[in-house]
Amino acid sequence: MKVEKISRSPIAELKRHVDVIQEAFKQALIPDRVTVEYPRERRIYPDNLRGFIVLDRSKCISCFRCAQICPANAIQMSLYDNFYPGVDYTKCIFCHFCVDSCPTGALASSNLHDMAFRSLEEMKVKATQMTRLPTIVREDKQSVEYFVTKKDWKLQRKKELEDISVLRIIPRIKPRRAFCEEPESCLGCRQCMEVCPHDAIVMERCEITLGGEVIGKGCILKVTEKCVGCGLCVRQCPMQILALKEVE
Amino acid sequence: MIDEILATLMNVFRSNSMQIPLIQPIVDYLMQIPLINILVALILWRPFFAVVIMPGLAVLLLYLLYIVWFERKLTARIQWRVGPLEVARPIRGAIQALADGLRYFFQEAIVHRDAHRPYFVQLPILAFIPILLPIAFIPAGNAVGIKTPYAIQLIVAFLALIPITIIAIGWASNNRFAFVGSVREALMYVAYEIPFIIAVISMIYLYGSGDPYVAVEKQSLVPGAILNPIAFLVFLITMLMATSRLPFEIPEADQEIAFGPFVEYSGMLFGLVMVLAYEKLYIMTLLFVILFLGGWNGFYFEPLGDLNAPLCLFIKTVVVISIIAIVRSMYARYRIDQTLRYSFSWLIAFSMVALGIGVVLGWIL
Repeated sequence: MKVEKISRSPIAELKRHVDVIQEAFKQALIPDRVTVEYPRERRIYPDNLRGFIVLDRSKCISCFRCAQICPANAIQMSLYDNFYPGVDYTKCIFCHFCVDSCPTGALASSNLHDMAFRSLEEMKVKATQMTRLPTIVREDKQSVEYFVTKKDWKLQRKKELEDISVLRIIPRIKPRRAFCEEPESCLGCRQCMEVCPHDAIVMERCEITLGGEVIGKGCILKVTEKCVGCGLCVRQCPMQILALKEVE
Repeated sequence: MIDEILATLMNVFRSNSMQIPLIQPIVDYLMQIPLINILVALILWRPFFAVVIMPGLAVLLLYLLYIVWFERKLTARIQWRVGPLEVARPIRGAIQALADGLRYFFQEAIVHRDAHRPYFVQLPILAFIPILLPIAFIPAGNAVGIKTPYAIQLIVAFLALIPITIIAIGWASNNRFAFVGSVREALMYVAYEIPFIIAVISMIYLYGSGDPYVAVEKQSLVPGAILNPIAFLVFLITMLMATSRLPFEIPEADQEIAFGPFVEYSGMLFGLVMVLAYEKLYIMTLLFVILFLGGWNGFYFEPLGDLNAPLCLFIKTVVVISIIAIVRSMYARYRIDQTLRYSFSWLIAFSMVALGIGVVLGWIL
């Protein structure tokens, strides 16, 4: 677009003055402002905006995936009856990779976007505190929603309050189980056995002849029904012969 | 002896007092109480009422509380902000100016080492003399301080004294920003005073007298703004220049020289100098309403009696100032050279045309 030279003729100047006066009076009467009076009004955010992370302990399989994927290294696994994640909100960048990577949908996002802590210690939220939403002090009397189109912005105030709840979107993952791709390469180091949180891998006696023939069950490993498909053994195996496979 | 003096005073006050039928029963009741009655008579004495109550000092303070809040709120509204809100939330922060005033009152007023101490402390108070003196000459119907046929000329003369005190304030501050502000104030004074006085003179020619009563009486059918629209425009623009409001906020330019001549003031002294421009605006708008908008011509309610004229004048003034306050959020600030060029070319030319119209219309009417 070519920028045209501004006309300085008295009529054009007068027209501009009229325009500015018109606009000022229009804004003075009905302003187009989009300010939210925050503690008394709460803006309704879209559902997929990432918030406080909530844990369902019954679903957690202690697979450590959340702790390993976290780019800010904010998740610490701590031991109760099992290992459960705790989020350090001094580090958390709300990328929600942990929620996305959780194979069973134990971690979930919530609508709670504004959190306040009394001290730095409190910001290290433990797994026991993550099982439910923290205490909410609600000062808002009404909700506010933005409507943005290409032409204009509008702010709509609603009398009803926004519902703060946990959004549990369970990922559609088929059940998987670990299996050995190349039994003849197994070193028998038993690291997979030690790392397995559910004692799903058991050892069976086997022999491999010099000709490469496997006698017995074929492998020292046997993955039992207890396997939940967390993939820890896959990551641990030094020979990288383990893999996850979908179960029919 | 004292009784005689009191009786004489009562006679003087009672002979020339405001007649307001609405509060007459209360006045009659209070008149029976000794010592209170002389106070009530003094308040209702017409010269005292005009200077101290309405349109004088008391409503001036009320107006100050209102306009500081209103201007901030209006500017915020146009600029998509919210403005002062947290002081008295149910009435949207309407007593913000009162809270600020209280804060100024209890704050320490620092007089820095380089300042000329006597002038620095005196001048904000002395600046009130040229601001409050015109009120004595501004009539509102029957309520008038000093009745003279040269009232308009006297008001203009006193208004011309105000920039001198502001320049002296900047000089006494002994600060480079204050000095720059003082010089700019002097330049603005040169820029607006000539067209302003010519515009007023054109209206005096039009009405044939400098008496506000004659001016208001001649506007009973057609207001002066329609009789001489060019003088109206010139007066409006020079009023913006004189009270250093945007787009002519050159002496006080916050972003460049940090409130100009008043940069060194703090505490109560700052509170005094900050409202100077608003008070000047009030006086000039009173003159503006008398010259162009029909003065106290307007409504008449029987129970209000003599209070009608001051009330009408005050309401017109506040409405005009509220409309003028919108200019602050519309325009950017002009440079000094632009303002001077504009004033010495266009404004003086327009004011000369207005003078011609005034002379011709005065001759016809």
